[in-house]
Amino acid sequence: MTTDVEKFGTRNWGMIADLDKCTGCQACVLACQAENNIPINTQDRVERARSISWIRVERYWEGDFPDTKARFIPIMCQHCENAPCEPVCPVYASYHNSEGLNVQVYNRCVGTRYCANACPYIVRFFNYWDPVWPESLRNHLNPDVTIRSRGIMEKCSFCIQRINRTSRKAKSEGRELEDGEIQTACSAACGTHGIVFGDLNDPESRVSKLKNHKRAFTLLEQFGTDPNVIYLAKIDPNKKGSEEGHH
Amino acid sequence: MQQKRNLTQEYTNKVLLNGTLETPKWWAPTVAGLGFVVLIGVIIIATMVNRGLGLTGLSRPVYWGLFITTFVFWVGISHAGIMISAILRLTQAEWRRPVTRAAELLTVCSLFTALVFPLIHAGRPWRIAYWILPYDISRGIYPNIRSPLIMDPVAISTYLTGSTLFLYIALLPDLGVLRDRTTGWKNAFYTLLALGWKGNPRQWQMQTIGGILLSALMLPIFVSVHSIVSWDFAVASAVEGWHSTIFAPYFVIGAVHSGVSAVVTMMALMRWMWKWDDFIRPEHFDALARLLIVVATGWLACTFLELTFALYGQDAPEIALREMQIFQWPWNLLFIIFFVTGYLIPVPIWCVKKYRNNIAIMFWTSILVNVGMWLERFLIIVPGLARRTPFVFTWEAYRPSPVEWAIMIWSFAWVSLLMLLFSRFFPLVPLFEQKESQVFTDDIQIGRAKVPAIVREVE
Amino acid sequence: MVNLPKKENHDSHHTLPPENVESSVIVEDLIATTNGASKSFKIIAIGLGIMSVLGIIALVLKWINYSDDSTRWGYVAALVSFLLSITGGAPMVAMGPVMAKANWVRPLTRLAAIFSFAGVSTIIVLIPLLFLLPPLVVDGTRRRSIWFEAPNYSPHIWGIIGMVLLLITGIALFYSAALPDFAVMRENSTGWRQKLGKKLARGWVGTDSQWRTLRMRIGMFGTFYFFVMVMVNFLYTTDFAQGVVPGYRDAIYTLYHTVSSWQGGVAALVIALWIVRRNMKLEKYIHLDAFWSLGRLLFALTLLWIYLFYSSFIVFWYGRSENDKATLDLLVRGPMIWAFLAGATFIWLVPWWILIWNRVRKSINGMAIGSCVIIIGLLLDRIRLFVSAWSVPQEFIHQKWLKQIPGTIYPDIFDVIIALGSISLSILMIMLMTKIIPVLSIWQIQEFNLLSKPIKFIKGHATLIAKPD
Repeated sequence: MTTDVEKFGTRNWGMIADLDKCTGCQACVLACQAENNIPINTQDRVERARSISWIRVERYWEGDFPDTKARFIPIMCQHCENAPCEPVCPVYASYHNSEGLNVQVYNRCVGTRYCANACPYIVRFFNYWDPVWPESLRNHLNPDVTIRSRGIMEKCSFCIQRINRTSRKAKSEGRELEDGEIQTACSAACGTHGIVFGDLNDPESRVSKLKNHKRAFTLLEQFGTDPNVIYLAKIDPNKKGSEEGHH
Repeated sequence: MQQKRNLTQEYTNKVLLNGTLETPKWWAPTVAGLGFVVLIGVIIIATMVNRGLGLTGLSRPVYWGLFITTFVFWVGISHAGIMISAILRLTQAEWRRPVTRAAELLTVCSLFTALVFPLIHAGRPWRIAYWILPYDISRGIYPNIRSPLIMDPVAISTYLTGSTLFLYIALLPDLGVLRDRTTGWKNAFYTLLALGWKGNPRQWQMQTIGGILLSALMLPIFVSVHSIVSWDFAVASAVEGWHSTIFAPYFVIGAVHSGVSAVVTMMALMRWMWKWDDFIRPEHFDALARLLIVVATGWLACTFLELTFALYGQDAPEIALREMQIFQWPWNLLFIIFFVTGYLIPVPIWCVKKYRNNIAIMFWTSILVNVGMWLERFLIIVPGLARRTPFVFTWEAYRPSPVEWAIMIWSFAWVSLLMLLFSRFFPLVPLFEQKESQVFTDDIQIGRAKVPAIVREVE
Repeated sequence: MVNLPKKENHDSHHTLPPENVESSVIVEDLIATTNGASKSFKIIAIGLGIMSVLGIIALVLKWINYSDDSTRWGYVAALVSFLLSITGGAPMVAMGPVMAKANWVRPLTRLAAIFSFAGVSTIIVLIPLLFLLPPLVVDGTRRRSIWFEAPNYSPHIWGIIGMVLLLITGIALFYSAALPDFAVMRENSTGWRQKLGKKLARGWVGTDSQWRTLRMRIGMFGTFYFFVMVMVNFLYTTDFAQGVVPGYRDAIYTLYHTVSSWQGGVAALVIALWIVRRNMKLEKYIHLDAFWSLGRLLFALTLLWIYLFYSSFIVFWYGRSENDKATLDLLVRGPMIWAFLAGATFIWLVPWWILIWNRVRKSINGMAIGSCVIIIGLLLDRIRLFVSAWSVPQEFIHQKWLKQIPGTIYPDIFDVIIALGSISLSILMIMLMTKIIPVLSIWQIQEFNLLSKPIKFIKGHATLIAKPD
């Protein structure tokens, strides 16, 4: 166990989401739902604003009328370096691991929901009921992912099960992890390759290179959260100069 | 002010023990009624713990709702006891005497009730002990002391312990009186509790010193409890309506406002129910109302500062939140009720001396204050979460469910029941304080007028 | 343990309550304090006068040299806050307990009210700041302020109106409570004081209706003074500190400033009382009780300082948004850390450990020392808040939060002379007032004698105090 920590200690997982490539197709949402055993968002759950989707594609408006344009942005847990959800948890269910991930330990969680209030991105979800799946989907559940019982919080884990699986594989083959070898469910599903996952500590990785792109920005930077999810702004061919795509 | 009233000690004993040594007629039916409400409440709570928080109206992003509002409300009410007993004791306000016991009792009962809410409000209440008591030490994980939710139980349990001691120390002389007037198992019960109280000078000295020391020690705790509760909200920089530096004093002074008002309500009830007209006098209501005018105005100033500095930043989300909180349906209705009942009706009424001395008016205005103060907490907690945030397309998604309302009603019935049960065994007006005030009040002849006077001992 | 023989010293356990003084003696004693001036009084007054003139010259010179650079004016802003705190806070202290019908406050109501007059120096030092304060619309964009829709000149005009109103209300409060004493001067003084008394007593003879009006006026002006004082604190702290720092938003600041100004006011009052008691030989009237009660008040206010400071600090510190971090970097951890540490030590830590002892609170000299420490702490605390705020260049004013923390600013020679001069002017005003009217309120002391009666109570001594409606 400790050797793993030592080995992974140098990593800092991050994600780049290129808004210029986002078509709003929601494939990432679907992939995430299947990968992470997220319960079906039935109509009544959506109506009562209790739906769970670790990644969601939000639509936002840009420009003033009549030149308004609908844009899409995928929002998932930003895995903040300075996460507001972490210090408020009384039981360390929400904490920062040595690989730069903001992890949620389901076993510890007692369900105070304080972390969710503290999160400016509203990407943490509470299980108001026990999760249920139709009989036909029972056998489709991912065995690598814990099913969350009622009364606890959950959120995007950057597909930690995939990170672990791939790292173990590389280790057993006696080699270093390659950049791009680990794919989260959403990055694998993105038809336009708009989501890139990788190690921000590796200067040669694609995420590190894209991080310094002139279109790069983070969401809600005024909260000082220092997210590990970095967005690349939408390119507007009709607009000159300003490339700031966010609000 | 304090009129010198010549009440003999026998009379004082007889009247003030009328709920303890004999059972008033209304007592059993009232207790049965409240007990029934409490029982239903307990069943509902058990059902909710069994089936899950889905039974509430909570959603995303409104993760906290009626339970936390009611929790803050009861913690606020608990500020009555120390305000009356400790602060007025240290400032030597004579008129506090008949009120102290009831105020302390209210503190203990409301704190005890307040503690229930964070427990049942958690997703997995059965694991809560892990959070409050680090019993799970085998994992090597201590609770996260950076979390305000750790400071909460620490502060509240300290306050509860201190208040209980405070109540008990002040009970000792009266327990001695009861022991000497009962037989059988009751006598044994009071003998045990009275700790051998004989009323010799040394015991009186110890009792007085204990009271004063506890007063001084409880004051910082009194201030810290509601400050810490307020920081549950204020430290969350992501929630626009919460992240304000004024919150700690704002909550504390609001708590005193609602707590002292609740004491006024109780005093009126005590006067009516036990017929203690000779002990709970209009001048006590008058003094409390004057205190309340000052407290309420200070609280209003804090409200003003809170709103001003929310808008001062001129950030769009903050302004949008305030617009929702104050102008949008249904929040605007709640806001108007909150403001009118919390300040606009009661305070001008209290400014008139005639009304201050009218017990029925004081009773109803004090209830209005607590309606307003409950709404104040609701309007701070819920709109802050129900606001529209930049990247979420759900907002204002909260409507308290019947389960939540029922549990809130349960809490009121539960506090009333606890106090009624207490009143059957212990006098609600401290006998010894009452007798002491007889000694400490006198008249002074100035010219031709006879003016009520008090005795101040020289150190 | 060896049982030492106990000294039979019963009386030392019970200090006898102070004896009541004859009404005519009170008048004689107190009127005597206004007459004539000792040599040292004259020398000190002339020295303070010279310092005041120098201070005003330094203020003018500073304006000539640096009127284009607002970052150099932080110490002047801090000085205004300091003077506002003390001259505005002290009268408040006398007024509050009066309304709560406390008796210990009687010997110090007059002295506290006289502090209002020193508010003149606050206004003088404020004048240059009014011109340096940026307008509400800078470069075509509205800056953050509490004046959401108000005209462009609002902060300046309301700032000065508030200060002048505070001065006028303070003087009105002083005058409304001084009528009976002017009447005493009319009857008992000689020369110009008698004429002044005659003129200002406005036909006071002490009828029932006159007393009723007097009490009503004190209550009215007292309440009004309280509101004006809080409002001036609100205006000054928001417009002259928060307003000039981008993103600085601290809702508790007004409360913090007001409460610490009471703290400074009480401390200054204790020192003034100490000097008056010694130099005017008024031991007969200024009893230990006044110091002791002021000590408890001062201790409570000292604890409130840390409470209010921490309430604001924890919210910023825990909040950790960019704005919160910048605010703490500017005010606490950054260039002014020396002022913060020294200020907190002197305004809170040291007085806390001094005043926590009842023995200190019950000693006249101990209280004076504790108060001096608090005054120093107050000055340092104001320097921390205002120098750091004004050190932010005005170009930054539209930033969402302060992205660049400016360096430490040290006082120049003008700042030192302005400070000494304005404080001298304040002291001078108070000193001169003591020669115009008795420094203790004659009627308050006479009334207390009427209402209190030393009695024997059980085994000890006690005072019977009447509580009329």
